[in-house]
Amino acid sequence: MTDFLSSLGYAQWIIPVLLLVPVAGILPILLAPAAQAKRIALVVSTVVFVVSLGLWWAFDATSGNFQFAATLPWMPFWGIYYRVGIDGISLFMVLLSTAMMPLAVLGSWHYITKAERGYYALLLAMTSGMVGVFVALDLFLFYFFWELILIPMYFIIGVWGGPNRLYATIKFFLYTMFGSLLMLVAILLMVWQTAHTTGIVSFDYAFLLEHAGELGSAAPWYFAAFALAFAIKVPMVPFHTWLPDAHTEAPTAGSVLLAAVLLKMGTYGFLRFAVPLFPDVAMSPPVTALFISLAVIGIIHGALVAMVQPDVKRLVAYSSVSHMGFAMLGIWAATVQSVQGALMVMIGHGLATGALFFLVGMLYERRHSRMFADFGGLARVIPLFSLMLTITALASIGLPGLSGFVGEFLVLLGSFENHPWATGIATTGVVFAAAYMLWAVQRIIYNPLVQPENKALAGHDLNLREVLVVLPLIFGMIWLGLYPKPVLRRMEAAATRFVEFSIPRAVTVQTADGSETEGAK
Amino acid sequence: MNTLDLLTPLGALFGLLPEVIITITACIVFLVAGWRGSTPAGSRLAGWISLAGIVLSGVALSYLWLGGFSPSGIAHMVALDPFRYASLGILLIVVGLTIGISLGYMERERLLAPEYYGLILLAAVGMMLLAGAVDFIVLFLGLEVMSVAAYVLVAFDRRSPASAEAGLKYFLIGAFASAFLLYGIALLYGATGTTNIILVGVQLSSGTASLLSALGVGMLLIGFAFKVAAVPFHMWAPDVYDGAPTPVTGLMATGIKAAAFLALIRVLMQGLAPVEALWQPVISTLAILTMVIGNLVALSQRSIKRMLAYSSIAHAGYLLVAVWPGSRLGAAALLMYLLAYGITTLAAFGILAMLGRGGERDVTVDDIAGLASQRPWMAFAMAICMLSLLGFPGTFGFIAKWLVLSSAVFEGQWLLMVVMVLASVVSAGYYLPVIMAMYMRDAEPGVTYSGVTVWGAAAGVVAVAIVGIILLGLWPPDLIDLSMESAAALFQRSMPVAIQ
Repeated sequence: MTDFLSSLGYAQWIIPVLLLVPVAGILPILLAPAAQAKRIALVVSTVVFVVSLGLWWAFDATSGNFQFAATLPWMPFWGIYYRVGIDGISLFMVLLSTAMMPLAVLGSWHYITKAERGYYALLLAMTSGMVGVFVALDLFLFYFFWELILIPMYFIIGVWGGPNRLYATIKFFLYTMFGSLLMLVAILLMVWQTAHTTGIVSFDYAFLLEHAGELGSAAPWYFAAFALAFAIKVPMVPFHTWLPDAHTEAPTAGSVLLAAVLLKMGTYGFLRFAVPLFPDVAMSPPVTALFISLAVIGIIHGALVAMVQPDVKRLVAYSSVSHMGFAMLGIWAATVQSVQGALMVMIGHGLATGALFFLVGMLYERRHSRMFADFGGLARVIPLFSLMLTITALASIGLPGLSGFVGEFLVLLGSFENHPWATGIATTGVVFAAAYMLWAVQRIIYNPLVQPENKALAGHDLNLREVLVVLPLIFGMIWLGLYPKPVLRRMEAAATRFVEFSIPRAVTVQTADGSETEGAK
Repeated sequence: MNTLDLLTPLGALFGLLPEVIITITACIVFLVAGWRGSTPAGSRLAGWISLAGIVLSGVALSYLWLGGFSPSGIAHMVALDPFRYASLGILLIVVGLTIGISLGYMERERLLAPEYYGLILLAAVGMMLLAGAVDFIVLFLGLEVMSVAAYVLVAFDRRSPASAEAGLKYFLIGAFASAFLLYGIALLYGATGTTNIILVGVQLSSGTASLLSALGVGMLLIGFAFKVAAVPFHMWAPDVYDGAPTPVTGLMATGIKAAAFLALIRVLMQGLAPVEALWQPVISTLAILTMVIGNLVALSQRSIKRMLAYSSIAHAGYLLVAVWPGSRLGAAALLMYLLAYGITTLAAFGILAMLGRGGERDVTVDDIAGLASQRPWMAFAMAICMLSLLGFPGTFGFIAKWLVLSSAVFEGQWLLMVVMVLASVVSAGYYLPVIMAMYMRDAEPGVTYSGVTVWGAAAGVVAVAIVGIILLGLWPPDLIDLSMESAAALFQRSMPVAIQ
């Protein structure tokens, strides 16, 4: 397979194809009749996914460097280039993005009834944006994609969302924009300061990484701006309040993409930018303590609040807050295991939460309700749905043998040595997760079947299309749970590189030659 | 490199060719007005003649620009440098777009007097002189020509009390501002003994700043602050913008503001650079006040026209950020921002003009609910305009805003930057509801947009502007290079400042 791909010159064209094909797909959608929009979107997104699968084989797992890299001038005068590349961290984020998209299209098939062309065009635009965020290696380019992604989501929630959609969508937009504009300030100031010391204006990630040690006393401010932008996106407590609203009001596919991909942009930002660029700040004891505490608070808070939600979607939304806390804990514990664990949590959460939102959406299409009070005993009328819900819920909880377990276990294992207390408290989050998720499953598919609307569901079990939406995700959960090795192997080099970078540089210098000088390696 | 002696009549005529062409066109339009009278056909004819004049003037401008004409010795009266050419280019584009919007609007509102176009052209001549002047007297003449035409244009809808009120207000405040400006010029003349801006710079750099020159600078700044509607000298703007006919509002928010800014930066960089320490704190204070107050007040507006009026105040704040550093990058950013803001705002006013249904003054956010389902292209264009004004990546507005931010950051100024991005977040609070109303809300029962007429010329203006906004948002490097080259001209005769 690898030889076949290299004979096609796969490494040269794959990233441009992933960025351009979805956008190019918008044109036929706008020209074709509205009824055909979803079919075109399905074809385009499936093609993109299939093509992106080649990354799995073409990726060299032994290298921690960026692969498939390319550089083209955009605004060369300003040191702004189209610079892209994929490493073990972004590989799975790209695959997750491309994989979710055909499912999102398929999952919206009957749910979206108005302005279909616009909807599917936005989904495709979003694909390009998501891939762009994960492959960009130029800070300007990264910012460009990072902001661009807001627009499709803003419209998807605002136009096709629930009754309270206007409030939810503007809250989502303003929160994210607030953070990211401050990040833009930090990027510009950082570039300017580096230009002063080196004489070169450049937004190149590698270049800035090399010179980030020379930022001196301004570094904490830059870090704060980056961290705020990413923390809002993750979202970390206390910046998470936009998430339940956005999730609840978004249409099914919107919730799925939000949970599966958009939240990962936040953790990805920490892994790629905030920590490696400013390790001295990020890994200093007070900041570490702050982030670890926020992560743990997020885990517990998210789980406890999820427990009391009357609305299934809100429960899943708060469970996201809890799960993303594990990813943050793994990043800040900064061991190879914990970082791999964080990445696995990101993937596992993407699959499981994506599937949960799809299933809730399917239920909503049948019952037009998301309230626990309206359900009960569904296992007796729609067994296939109930089976899939159960598997997904168990994966979300972290049952051994399913995807959630691997990630959370690695995070806890990797974090325990340096942060035993935090890890200990975080572990209780798993127990709470079992509590809220199992109770939720019980209230939906077990309990007595009393309500006539629920009895009427008999014979309306999942159809083939819906099974096709959820089954690949369940397959992924089982695969990652039973045999995560190939995935972990591809992450290892990048995780190791991240851990090396996240060791404060000043400390490295001291241990290397015993001198007290601070600065770059 | 050709040189022109501006002291000879022929040389001056040649150097002023774009302005001369516009003036002649204005005279022709007034003749047409006398000949055809206030008829739809006469009005249309005048409009198209004016557009032809703009195009012809553009040709003359590109001849001067590409020929690289420069003055022999120092420039007298008007500058002959790429910065003036770039300024004139922006002004001609803005005026041309305004005329395109006016064609349909004036007919629908039954404002058929062809003199309208003549006045627009005279205002354009004023703007061009103002932006190109290197002598305070020419600057003042340009300002007055522009302003007097604009007073009449604002009050052009004789039947509307709001329009008359706006005209009177604008006239009173404008006269007040001109007086300040003139007083400042007189004081500077007293301090330096010259009205030539470049020579003022030379004089100021040789001696220490006297109280007289400091007072002069202060008066000048107040005059300009009134003209660009910077807070706290902005009180007139919302009422005037609201009352004026929509295309005139567009011209005031873009062309007149642009001309004043272009003159301001030339005065500051060529004439007053030696006393930077005097005006920089004033500019940064004005910038912060303008950004904060303009954006906050815009939040509470329901009428889109009034919202755009306040947003135009807010944008003046961003432009002041570009003026503040007095650097080449700042001047380039100013050019880019004026162009981006100009075409975006005029496109928005063009759509607004089409949406307003005869005589009805205010189009509120609620009036455009559900527009996207019935007029998808119009809604799309409006959405792009709003995103560009917001400074969203992928639009020209973002590139311009990013340049302005860069110009501040390259002077190590982080406070203005932070205020500017936070102000931008606030501005999302009034730009986004427009998009939300069009796309995310359903039309009020019984509201149809069938009465909305799309005029060919205005639709063309909007289409060109939207394509420009998107293309320049994605591929700006050539234009940035051009603006950097143009901006370099401001340094030729004043302080030799190294460019990063």
